Amino acid sequence: MNDVFAGMRISSSGLTAERLRMDTIASNIANATTTRGENGQPYIRKIAVFQENLQREIDKTTGTYKDSFKGVSAVGIVDDASPLRRVYDPSHPDADKEGYVTMPNVNILNEMADMIASTRAYEANVSSMTAVKNMFSKALEIGK
Amino acid sequence: MNINAFVNNTKISNNLQKNDIATENNGSNFLDTLNEKLNEVNDKQIEADDITQKFIKGEETDVHKVMVSTQEAKLSLELAVQIRNKLVEAYQEFNRMQI
Repeated sequence: MNDVFAGMRISSSGLTAERLRMDTIASNIANATTTRGENGQPYIRKIAVFQENLQREIDKTTGTYKDSFKGVSAVGIVDDASPLRRVYDPSHPDADKEGYVTMPNVNILNEMADMIASTRAYEANVSSMTAVKNMFSKALEIGK
Repeated sequence: MNINAFVNNTKISNNLQKNDIATENNGSNFLDTLNEKLNEVNDKQIEADDITQKFIKGEETDVHKVMVSTQEAKLSLELAVQIRNKLVEAYQEFNRMQI
């Protein structure tokens, strides 16, 4: 019975992944001007990393191992290695001797674009799940 | 002339009948299978109910997991209803049979 809903489970994993991506984007936007993060350093942009999720299982018909799809899984959240922005603002409490403030490497426009991509990806996953659901319902109509 | 030649040679059909009985005794019968599958459908309902409760309590954070679970329960039940319809249909068919 669970094989029937494998498609829905895969889409569900995609939805979970997109939610995590959305969380990191929200965190990046919220901390776009945070100059004091962990250990006194400015906030560093976070990126969610995803990995294809496969499960090896025995094929019941042939008895051999095969990979079955289990969707996507998040392997972690890593820091963006791009350089931090330096902005001239002598009145800022965190300004250095020359009057420059080290700001997070978050570009709000990039974050907004990522947000749109994430939202659309979420919708795409919902669409594929709806398609699986409709296929099942249509199959049930064969008996009517 | 042996008119009954075909009917007399019942070896094959006897063998078939024996096999039928053998598999019926070895394998599970229809009622057991039906019960098992209905229990699986019921399990889906319980699972969906459980995850909904968890979501309300705040233990489950993914709303789509709740929806997936409830949809699985719904579709399983629809499948069970279709099979039940077919069974009742078959029963009625037998009931209408002229003896």
